[in-house]
Amino acid sequence: MLRAAWSAPFTRRTLGAELFCLIGAATGAAGFAIVLALLVPGTVASLSIAGTVLGLALLVLLVTGVARWLGALHRALAARLLGASIAPPPPVRAGRRAPLWFGRGLRDGPGWRAVAYLLLKLPVALLEGYAVFWWAAGVADLTYPFWWPMFRNHPPAVHLDPVPVLTPFGAFPVGTFAGTLAAFAAGAAMLLAAPWLARAVVWVDLGLMRGLLGSGRLAQRLRDLEETRARVVDDTAALRRHIERDLHDGAQVRLAALAMNLGRAREALGRDGPAADLPRTRELLDAAHRDAKDALAELRDLVRGIHPPVLDNGLADALATLAAGSPLPVRLRADIPVRPSAAIETIAYFCAAELVANAAKHSRAGTVDIRVAQRDGMLVMGVADDGIGGARPGRGTGLAGLVQRVHTVDGQLRIASPPGGPTRITVTLPLRA
Amino acid sequence: MVIAEDAALMREGLVGLLVDRGHEVVAAVGDADALIAAVAGQRPDVAVVDVRMPPSHTDEGLRAALRLRRDHPGTGVLVLSQYIETRYATELLAGNAAGVGYLLKDRVADVADFVAALARVAAGGTALDPEVVRQLLGVRRHEHAVVTLTPRERAVLALMAEGRSNAGIATALSVSGGVVEKHVANIFGKLGLPPAEGDNRRVLAVLRYLGSARP
Repeated sequence: MLRAAWSAPFTRRTLGAELFCLIGAATGAAGFAIVLALLVPGTVASLSIAGTVLGLALLVLLVTGVARWLGALHRALAARLLGASIAPPPPVRAGRRAPLWFGRGLRDGPGWRAVAYLLLKLPVALLEGYAVFWWAAGVADLTYPFWWPMFRNHPPAVHLDPVPVLTPFGAFPVGTFAGTLAAFAAGAAMLLAAPWLARAVVWVDLGLMRGLLGSGRLAQRLRDLEETRARVVDDTAALRRHIERDLHDGAQVRLAALAMNLGRAREALGRDGPAADLPRTRELLDAAHRDAKDALAELRDLVRGIHPPVLDNGLADALATLAAGSPLPVRLRADIPVRPSAAIETIAYFCAAELVANAAKHSRAGTVDIRVAQRDGMLVMGVADDGIGGARPGRGTGLAGLVQRVHTVDGQLRIASPPGGPTRITVTLPLRA
Repeated sequence: MVIAEDAALMREGLVGLLVDRGHEVVAAVGDADALIAAVAGQRPDVAVVDVRMPPSHTDEGLRAALRLRRDHPGTGVLVLSQYIETRYATELLAGNAAGVGYLLKDRVADVADFVAALARVAAGGTALDPEVVRQLLGVRRHEHAVVTLTPRERAVLALMAEGRSNAGIATALSVSGGVVEKHVANIFGKLGLPPAEGDNRRVLAVLRYLGSARP
């Protein structure tokens, strides 16, 4: 705790925040000036009789061009220096012809919000400058005792003016080496306080940016839905292809072989009369019998992969079947008083199946623990194993696919899997999709 | 003959079936490159080729079959597939229907018919799956309003397209050989094929009807 406080002024996070404050103070002040320089004449001119068109043109230029560009600059700064990603608003729906250009430009919501941000930014920019001052002046004050002996080693008779020390509460003069120690102390105090001040100011600025420079909640939601819809469509196509491939390479081959072997057996038997080649017929019938059983097994597996029939009895039964068939011992506790919709049950089941399979394949776990419960109108499923951990999406474990699939119904999949284990994955799904 | 089929089960079955029938299988391979190498090396009478083979499991077999047709005209190619794709059939038949076959895998179950079809292809004949013929004739029917065949003539043409002889057609339609000959002559006449072209006319008739023939 204490160490963290000592090192706080020089962490990446603080330096990023300080730099953001420094640049933000400048861009904030400049942005305010530019916006005012366009907004005031634009508004005045548009209200006048002669300059309406010119004034409106200035406003459109401000809203759709300058303000949006400055907004993008601030988003980029936040992303680069604060690591905060703010989704950009949808682009201007510009019209080619003049009436449309004016109409859409003047009704450009995100552009006006950016104007509002740039106006509100001025006081924040001043605070940001102030926060930078705490840090920079703190560093400067710290240096007093170090350079003092080098420059102030004059003979006693010479009188030099005291040097001012800047603090947030005014400057105080320092004329002796002992005084520089006071400057050092003041600098240390300022420097220790600076990170918290900078963070507080940055927090306010980020709040403003999220509210005014972001995509807006509806637009963000729309984008999420578009993304998940595209994924569902892709998934469906991939699934069909997968099923086709499984059938083609599996059951269809077995059935073709079955038909072929039966055909050969019939040949070996001869058209009529006693069998032409009885041992050969028996052999071929054996092969055909084997083909038929293999085809049945393949079809059964395939059907289970498409939709496990036991899922119709409910998620708990399906998970119990899954647990019984797993190569790893699975402990299952399911408490599902309100039955979720079929789509949710299917997603939950396939998540569990994939996670158990992952545990068996990668985790070297001894047992897997599945718990399903309902909380606040959500289905919460935890799948935990006592294995080696290190599970991460995007490493070919299919976890990324699960995250996406869960996301399509506004669910969440959280992974806690430190290296060395254990792994605990929590899937939260709404009861209705 | 050479067999190219990626599913081991089918490959072994085909080999067994053909060896039972006294044919010599000089190579049984699982992908298109091995097929082309085997045909180049062994010069078989006929190659049996599965359409879908590694690596991409789409139409490698068909590509290889087309290449064999170009590079080794002496080797008949019988393409087997789980599905009938009209496009595959027209590609295979493009220009020349001699020594080509395209059958559904299901047909292998009727061993005698399958082996007969294979023998036809090996001897430079044609073997088209009834399903292929049905689709092709179905597709082309509207495009050739000028050529009006009677339903009976179309049935004869369909059997001709499968690669059957007049005697085979007569058996299939339960009519006498003379009736079939009359139908065949009518078909040639309607399609404008002069008698001079001999045996090749049967293939040409089919191709002309399908609209794939080069004039």
